[in-house]
Amino acid sequence: MTGMTGMTGLALRSLRHRLTASVATFLAVLFGTVLIGAFATLAETAFAIDGVTAEQEADQETLTIMGIVVGSWGTVIVLFAVASTVGITAARRAGEIGLLRTIGATPRQARRLICREALAVAVCGALIGAVLAAGVGWLLLDLLRGELVASSVEFRGGPASVGAAAALVTLTSAVAAAIAARRATRGPASLTLRESEAETGRMRWYRVAVALLLIGYGVGLGAVTIFVMADSDDPYAAMQTSGSSSILVGVGFAMLAPALLRWVSAPAARLLARVGGRGAGYLAAYNTSRRAHRLASVLAPVIVLTSGAIGTLMLVSIDSRTLAGTGDYEETVNLLNNVVVGMVSLFAAIMVVNAFAAGTADRRAELRRLWLLGGTPAQIRRSLAVEAGIVAAVGLVVGTLGSLATIVPFSIARDEGVVPDAQLWIPAVIAVAVVLLVLTAARVAARATIRVAVQEVR
Amino acid sequence: MAALTTTFALETQDLTRTFGEGAGTVQALAGVDLAFPRGSFTAVMGPSGSGKSTFLSCVAGIDRPSAGRVLLAGTDVTSWDEDRLARLRRRRIGFVFQDFQLMPYLTAEQNVGLPWRLSGRRPDRARVRGLLDRVGLADRAHHLPARLSGGQRQRVAIARALVAEPDVILADEPTGALDSATARGVLALLRACVDELGQTVVMVTHDPVAAAYADTVVFLVDGRVAGRIEAPTVDAVAARQAHLDEQAVSR
Repeated sequence: MTGMTGMTGLALRSLRHRLTASVATFLAVLFGTVLIGAFATLAETAFAIDGVTAEQEADQETLTIMGIVVGSWGTVIVLFAVASTVGITAARRAGEIGLLRTIGATPRQARRLICREALAVAVCGALIGAVLAAGVGWLLLDLLRGELVASSVEFRGGPASVGAAAALVTLTSAVAAAIAARRATRGPASLTLRESEAETGRMRWYRVAVALLLIGYGVGLGAVTIFVMADSDDPYAAMQTSGSSSILVGVGFAMLAPALLRWVSAPAARLLARVGGRGAGYLAAYNTSRRAHRLASVLAPVIVLTSGAIGTLMLVSIDSRTLAGTGDYEETVNLLNNVVVGMVSLFAAIMVVNAFAAGTADRRAELRRLWLLGGTPAQIRRSLAVEAGIVAAVGLVVGTLGSLATIVPFSIARDEGVVPDAQLWIPAVIAVAVVLLVLTAARVAARATIRVAVQEVR
Repeated sequence: MAALTTTFALETQDLTRTFGEGAGTVQALAGVDLAFPRGSFTAVMGPSGSGKSTFLSCVAGIDRPSAGRVLLAGTDVTSWDEDRLARLRRRRIGFVFQDFQLMPYLTAEQNVGLPWRLSGRRPDRARVRGLLDRVGLADRAHHLPARLSGGQRQRVAIARALVAEPDVILADEPTGALDSATARGVLALLRACVDELGQTVVMVTHDPVAAAYADTVVFLVDGRVAGRIEAPTVDAVAARQAHLDEQAVSR
């Protein structure tokens, strides 16, 4: 048992030295718990209503749908964001873990260190998040009262709903940390101590399985939308099934990001070599194809962001055209959809920025090497910019593909055909926003890292 | 005078580098005057903190000297800006590092051609292949560094240092990360660069065996040249080194 307490103590001490690195995990867990918890309070409130009158029953159903259906869209992306953020933070510790192991820490001890550290941060974020979730849930209900549900409905969100949300997010962090820890401690200590050049980035079978499952599930929901829900009397039936498809398929594609990057960049390497001038494109092309697993951490959130944002906004656009004039109800649903898009985008944007900051900082030694060999800082910056361009391009193509899982079924269900009738500029606007976000995040990260890499005293 | 200067591949005049300010000032280099003739192999030795690494950094334009001059093939490069120094490193200096510093995502062949790529040129395939052949890695051209042994990686690094036909090859503890048998192969290769290709090699090392491969050993102590040995033997170098260490401790 002394080993266990020893590692916890070390984890807490190491945390104090690593506050900035933990900020991303903390924020992801905090916002994640707020988002899931707030919608969960709606579901809990629904359960508390006495379903005596018809009106009460309708309120109960409305709140259940809000809480569970809309909340689950958010849950998918939140869990993905938390898992990816925790994973990135833990993976950055590989070198330090190798050092600990060379001085005698067992792989199990090293894993414990990573897991307890992640858990400590996650528990803090989840507890604060749970308290905030209750407040946000109350605000949500207040927004719905008098519009979608009776004014008399009382907020009944309590420890059960926000507690479950906090537990779910914490559990996800723990699992993600455990997987990352296992990856970091695989193989002999000396290997992890060295710059992990030997890693091949081959995806584990369960990762591919989960990815295919998500994509299949999303596409399946789309099929259900077209063949079952389109005939339903409830105009929102089609939205319930197709609404989250784009996010599900997006997350599925995101999990396959390393393979997608390799497939795209390897054949394009020759072409890319001519971009950016003076070797910048050449370096970017080979780094992207041969170390796709590293850049994949940046590509993944870009795919989810693109897919989720385009899918959901087009859904709102189709909905407002085909269901015009049904009044407040429709307005509120649209508002909720927009809230979801906003939160999903915010999450994905945090992930993109975090992934670029972490991914670029980890390459300091390698970027310094280029400088030692005669690369100018401008040249190195250009090479990173080309990489970001590749990420943005692949992310947009794959993300747009994922968004079709929502757009096409819903468009067919609302009788607009395979291609929606109007507002096709929405994907273009989102594409521009995503490209700007990716290039800016990459540029800021590159500038900061290169400045340090070049100044480092030997 | 000018004609005389250009016979040196590398020359430093009163090279000085100080770190920090006020009472905490550390003088890493305190006026080093050294000249390295074309086609020579020089080992730079000294106790830790003697300034040998700082010397290499200042010469390579990685660090800025506080005073003094660095002349590369007769050209004063001391006040060049960062971009010019970067071009200098890729065209006129060949670097060999203790930890190899290969790009992990480029094959052996691509690593060798990298200085040309950074210059925006397509590497001369025949030349790159010829160099890989020369360092004994013709059959490893398409391997990534992760699949090469330490000795093989260092050979790739030497081929890369040679690719631009630099004025001088700077080697920083090139055998520090290698076992002694592999190290001998790498040192023989550096020796061959001088004898067969007419290259100039300046090597920082603390290993008397490595230093014995050089034509001349220069000793630095407290940022100053503290002696030299021509046609060194392992024993002579080790004896002098022990003596200098003692001096450093007694101070």
